[in-house]
Amino acid sequence: MKKFTAFFLACVLLFSAAACGKTSEPDKTPAPTRTAPTQDIQNQDVLTPAPSVPTPPEFPKKNPDSSVSVRFPLTVTDQAGRTVTIDQPPHRIASSYYISTSLLLSFGLKDKLVGIEAKANTRNIYRLAASQIIELPNMGTAKEFNTEACVAAKPEVVFLPMKLKKVADTLEELGIKAIVVNPENTELLIECISLVGNVTDSMDEAILLLETIDTFLSYTSDRVSTEASPRVYLAGNSDLLSTAGSRMYQDSLVTNAGGINVAAELSDTYWANVSYEQILAWNPEYIVLAADASYTIEDVLNNANLAACDAVKNKKVVKLPGDIEAWDSPVPGSFLGSIYLASVLHPDCISTEFYKDCVTGFYETFYGFTPANE
Amino acid sequence: MGKKTQTYRNKIILLSVMSVLLLGAVLMWSVLTGQYPLTLRALLSGDSTSVLVFLRLRVPRALMGLIGGFGLGISGFVYQLIFRNPLASPDIVGVSSGASAGAAFAIVLFSALTPATSIAAFTGGILALSVTLLIACLVPGKNSYTIVLAGIAIHSIAQTILMFLKLSADPEKQLASIEYWIMGSLNGVTADRLLLPFLITTLCSVLMLLFFRQILILSLNEDEAFLLGVNVTILRFVILLAATLIVSSIICVTGLISFIGLLAPHIAKLLTRRSDLATFILSGVSGALIMTIADIFARSISSAELPVSIFTSLLGAPLLIVLLVKNGRKEYRND
Repeated sequence: MKKFTAFFLACVLLFSAAACGKTSEPDKTPAPTRTAPTQDIQNQDVLTPAPSVPTPPEFPKKNPDSSVSVRFPLTVTDQAGRTVTIDQPPHRIASSYYISTSLLLSFGLKDKLVGIEAKANTRNIYRLAASQIIELPNMGTAKEFNTEACVAAKPEVVFLPMKLKKVADTLEELGIKAIVVNPENTELLIECISLVGNVTDSMDEAILLLETIDTFLSYTSDRVSTEASPRVYLAGNSDLLSTAGSRMYQDSLVTNAGGINVAAELSDTYWANVSYEQILAWNPEYIVLAADASYTIEDVLNNANLAACDAVKNKKVVKLPGDIEAWDSPVPGSFLGSIYLASVLHPDCISTEFYKDCVTGFYETFYGFTPANE
Repeated sequence: MGKKTQTYRNKIILLSVMSVLLLGAVLMWSVLTGQYPLTLRALLSGDSTSVLVFLRLRVPRALMGLIGGFGLGISGFVYQLIFRNPLASPDIVGVSSGASAGAAFAIVLFSALTPATSIAAFTGGILALSVTLLIACLVPGKNSYTIVLAGIAIHSIAQTILMFLKLSADPEKQLASIEYWIMGSLNGVTADRLLLPFLITTLCSVLMLLFFRQILILSLNEDEAFLLGVNVTILRFVILLAATLIVSSIICVTGLISFIGLLAPHIAKLLTRRSDLATFILSGVSGALIMTIADIFARSISSAELPVSIFTSLLGAPLLIVLLVKNGRKEYRND
């Protein structure tokens, strides 16, 4: 958690400085708007928490007046190490990666989107936050990018996943600015949010989002820091025997929730396959299924190969909520996965009500809709 | 001549003893290797987790390595004999690609549930052979080359279906499962999944042994075989079906295991310098040893499971090269 905070601060300062340095004279540089999310003054005399229990943070309100602007032309280095110069704030944006699309929606840029990735109708978050984007031209998938469809949509900037790095160069040759994003761990997610904020001239929103994530994760981390950390096995979408090592984003999901990822010793950068024996050797106290797992909690509880595992014996098998979006992937709302998990691992410290309030507050603030009952 | 026969007999006796010893040693090694810290004391004291790991996971997996490798080895030997082609393998009649397409179909349509994937892979393999043989039957003047050509066509069609399924697969869930299945692994093999490959491999091996003499005659010349009273068409169909049943029953549990079907018979032939019954069995033994050792590496090099095909190729190819350089490539005798 300290790692997150330190990196967050460094990143905000770096990007703010970079952005502002191009906007105006240094002495006129406006400071990033820091809407204090931790205290509501009006509530201070109403709620009098016990000294040992910190007041839960609240979600900030978006400031309609921009305080941090980016000067164009802007030269950035994307997450594939490519140097890209953006001549002016883009008004037509395409995204062929659900994570960058979700990020753009959280910045309130749905009206600037002119094209998104394939299978958009399978993303519930789009339906809830901006159903009109589902009908936008389809840029294809990470496997098969549709270059002609992208050119036809006439975007000024396209956001692509790392798998489409080669396509980015092709698009540049066709006169379309392409930014590769790769939020594969916490640090890279923060960097990604700042990068997208800069390129789309949305640094206010980016800073607000980063502050929100930091505030709520810090609170969660502080609340569970004194508790014993249970051993957690995070099972992947495709198979119970696939799991995430320490170099994957999903590792921070567990550690931020005050758990120990039993698979942290794995150095794979993608879901790794392990054996039943390995799971039994790790003997996790909790088994957490990824949000889009193709198997159920009952499948795990009835799996005779894991009958001797503590998590199965004690029926401590849960599935991450995925009604809105999969929080085990590095989307902006993924910190809610940590809060959910903290409410499971440490129910005395993080209540279910707090988790639900977080979900409601986050999606109302950044996506403009009220979740049903996540 | 008599001295040569005696020398060969001695060689076979030596190879048999070595095979038994090596199989025993590798089985022991396999049973003793794994991520769970098993101890003899814990097993003898009846520790429930240790007993579960040993009986439900460790022993079935070790046995699957032996059975799977043996089955793929003898099937490869039979394919090479019947097609009179040293490069023949289960893919020559489209079995592997048919099974892959079947597995991918199940993964995309029914998620990666084990029974569905296994059933679809098995069905895919058998279906590919059936269509191959059906096409070959429709060709006038059919011979083993007709089957090979029909097999290549079915292989291409199955690969196209596989490509389409991979394209439509969810990259986060299904695509990874398909790729991992194609790379092969003995991970997750349990006692209940061992039964099908064990029964089919045993029954079909016995069938092949019973018809071994006829298979050898068929491998010499189809016209001569016909003159010697062998019903070429029926025999070829039955033996191909038996070999394909073995391969399908194994890979529907393990996923694709590359190289063993091609490699093991060559290792056996380089050791015996013949294509006889001893070579047939030795092909199975070589396959069993390669697959079991490959699986030991696949599960013990890191905490993550690695695809077994990486190690079957890594182990088998250098072994083949050493034997090739040492013994040379000579014509094998069919005795």
